[in-house]
Amino acid sequence: MDTQHTEQSGELLKFVPRPSRPPVTITYGPAGWLKKNMFGNIWNSLLTFTVFALLFLLLKPFFEWTLIKAVWTASTRRECLAISPDGACWAGIFPWFNNLMYGLYPDALQWRVNLGFCIGFLWFVPLALKKITNKMFIALSGVTLFPFIANYLFLGGERSTFHYIVSCFALAYLLLIYGNIFLKYMGKKQFEQYIEPFTGRLYRKNTFLSAHLMILLLLTIIIAYLLGNLTLEYVSVDVWGGLFLTIIISSVSIVMALPIGIVLALGRRSEMVIIKWFSICTIELVRSVPMITVLFMSVTMLPLFFPNTMELNKLAQVLVAVCLFAGAYMAETVRGGLQAISKGQYDAAKSLGLGYWYMMIFIILPQALKAMIPNIVTSFISLFKDTTLVSIIGLFDIMLMARNIAIDKNWLGLHAEPLVAISVLFFVICYTMSQYSQRLEKKLKTNR
Amino acid sequence: MCGIGYYFFSNVVENLHQMELPFGFGFISSTAGFDIGWSIIPYDPTMSYGRVYLVGIVNTLILSTLIILFATLLGFVVGIIRLSQNFLLSQVARWYVECVRNIPLLIQIVFWFIVVFSTLPPPKKSYALFNIFFLNNRGFYLPSPVFETHSGWTLIGALAAMICTIILLKKSRVFRRKSGKRLPILYPALLTLFGLVAILFVSTGSPIHWAVPSLQGFNFHDGFFFPISFMAAFVSMTIYRSATIGEMVRAGIQSIDPGQIEAASAIGFSPFKTLRLIIIPQAARAILPPLINAWLTIVKESSLAVAIGFPELVSVFIQTSLNQTGRAIEIVMMVMGFYMCTSLSISFVMNRYNKRIQMREG
Repeated sequence: MDTQHTEQSGELLKFVPRPSRPPVTITYGPAGWLKKNMFGNIWNSLLTFTVFALLFLLLKPFFEWTLIKAVWTASTRRECLAISPDGACWAGIFPWFNNLMYGLYPDALQWRVNLGFCIGFLWFVPLALKKITNKMFIALSGVTLFPFIANYLFLGGERSTFHYIVSCFALAYLLLIYGNIFLKYMGKKQFEQYIEPFTGRLYRKNTFLSAHLMILLLLTIIIAYLLGNLTLEYVSVDVWGGLFLTIIISSVSIVMALPIGIVLALGRRSEMVIIKWFSICTIELVRSVPMITVLFMSVTMLPLFFPNTMELNKLAQVLVAVCLFAGAYMAETVRGGLQAISKGQYDAAKSLGLGYWYMMIFIILPQALKAMIPNIVTSFISLFKDTTLVSIIGLFDIMLMARNIAIDKNWLGLHAEPLVAISVLFFVICYTMSQYSQRLEKKLKTNR
Repeated sequence: MCGIGYYFFSNVVENLHQMELPFGFGFISSTAGFDIGWSIIPYDPTMSYGRVYLVGIVNTLILSTLIILFATLLGFVVGIIRLSQNFLLSQVARWYVECVRNIPLLIQIVFWFIVVFSTLPPPKKSYALFNIFFLNNRGFYLPSPVFETHSGWTLIGALAAMICTIILLKKSRVFRRKSGKRLPILYPALLTLFGLVAILFVSTGSPIHWAVPSLQGFNFHDGFFFPISFMAAFVSMTIYRSATIGEMVRAGIQSIDPGQIEAASAIGFSPFKTLRLIIIPQAARAILPPLINAWLTIVKESSLAVAIGFPELVSVFIQTSLNQTGRAIEIVMMVMGFYMCTSLSISFVMNRYNKRIQMREG
């Protein structure tokens, strides 16, 4: 009101304009951004400076400890303390590095673990390539065939003929995948299409499939012949450990959790009362107790369920427990995925005359699983973190290895550094995975 | 399936027979014979396994209740900071959340226990706050109330005052709904709350006082104390869960349509009123269901304190008692039963509350 002056008693009302508004503050460019986000008004600026000061006070000692005053080369902890009493002693991590990664796995045989992980990694690389079409099949083969190779590489020792043939077949399959990828990127035809004319003469129907199988058979025989004399030294499960064991437990259980989860989730929606209640009870029981009790149960109670002549190894017991645990949680994830499928899909499948299993396997589950991939990655992250719990029941995973550094006589009392080191390792792995899952989530959302 | 079930069952019977440990809960009344580091309820080694179970339950509940309380508070602070207009502040909150979330809880618990709390100074040089709270490498000492005779009156008075206030609040709400006018409720409520209690307290001769911990010899006496294993578990789990709760709070607040806030300011609500009447009631609907889950997780997660030797249920029962008695099935069943009951009852109560505050459609 104060800006609009009018003559009170005069006959004419004289128009007096308001003063013009101040110019718009700049909100673009670095300066505008700073002004908008950090120094908008006096309180905001004050806040920014306070936070800066606090961060400086907090981070300065941390960086001094971890980097500036740290000791990188020393042979004992005493030496470390002599050089720099209030800096980190990273020198203690290096002699234990192999143990942190592989546990007590013999040094000379660690290439087998590396090779195994490389093969596993190769199996999943095609999933990230753009031109590849049958990704579902490659993933499925990776989960079913790769464990045979990995098992033999990690464990070694005696091998059964069946195991040997399947491993060779798996290798052949991997070779074929990569051969075809190579050809595809060269812009050429697939291997199968080259030999289709020959196999077509032998068997008329399904020429592509028969060519595919023929190549696989030939490759398997060649590989089996080449690797015939290969023998690997036996490495007991008891010496497995470190990050290697952590990765094994978490990946085996996430892979097993998926089928268990699907079965339990379908069971929960089933119309058969016994199956329904069995599934509900299993899911709710496992979900309402802590993981550590499930682990203790598998260690103390599980042996009672088997004849006492049977020798159970601790890793197998732990795997059973973790798979069960992860499966129950996965069941809820799958249930969420199934609920997200619209009812029209079910109706359409039924009206086409598909039975229950056909409908589930070809219509519902592929859609549900695709929508669930980010959730599966998230549960893999939490499982990966929870795997550290196996150290409580005495498996030599990375956590227990890190704590064992402190009782090495050269590095007595070196507690903080190993813990910080493995924390950083976990952070890097988990953070990358969570960023990946967020990206995936965005991508899947836009795909719809 | 029945065949497999029978196979397992017969193995169990066979094994138990060979170990000469028939199935049964008779061991509960036998003497435990081991000491427990810390318990609120009286305990000594001559007591039974049943008592051990109870001590474990009480310790677990105390630990998880405190974590739930503080993690929720801290989580709300983190979530609100995360939404701050100030870029630096919100980034600090973001990296706090990322760092805490992506490091396994067990590592954090062990870190706090071994690196932080175990390296605190000994009792003689302990950190003191106002000479009432003391922190050293044995634990955290704080004053405890001591109730003398006649103190019951004050407690009864406090209870009565609380009930009166609640009735008063309800009455005033009914009145406001009917007439649209606000009753001046604050002062009468405060008067009943503090006045009644103060009068009773003084008239019965001030029967409640604080026992302040004091250093005698090598250790503190009087007052109340939490061992460092408790403190480490409490601090690490509070921080860990505050990060996840913070994310829930952020997501909940972000789920509100910005039009709601604009509408509130358009009809002249102050920022505080907008927060209290527009944002919080709507955000609560989105936050509560995941928050209930987080609380259930906290109760379950508190069992990780076993790693640093805090005597909670898993530690005293599954570890120590099971090692002594060898009764795997019964003990695992009892512990799992407790966790199931707690989870189910929390989710039952909270889901009812949740149903009440959710939007009623149609």
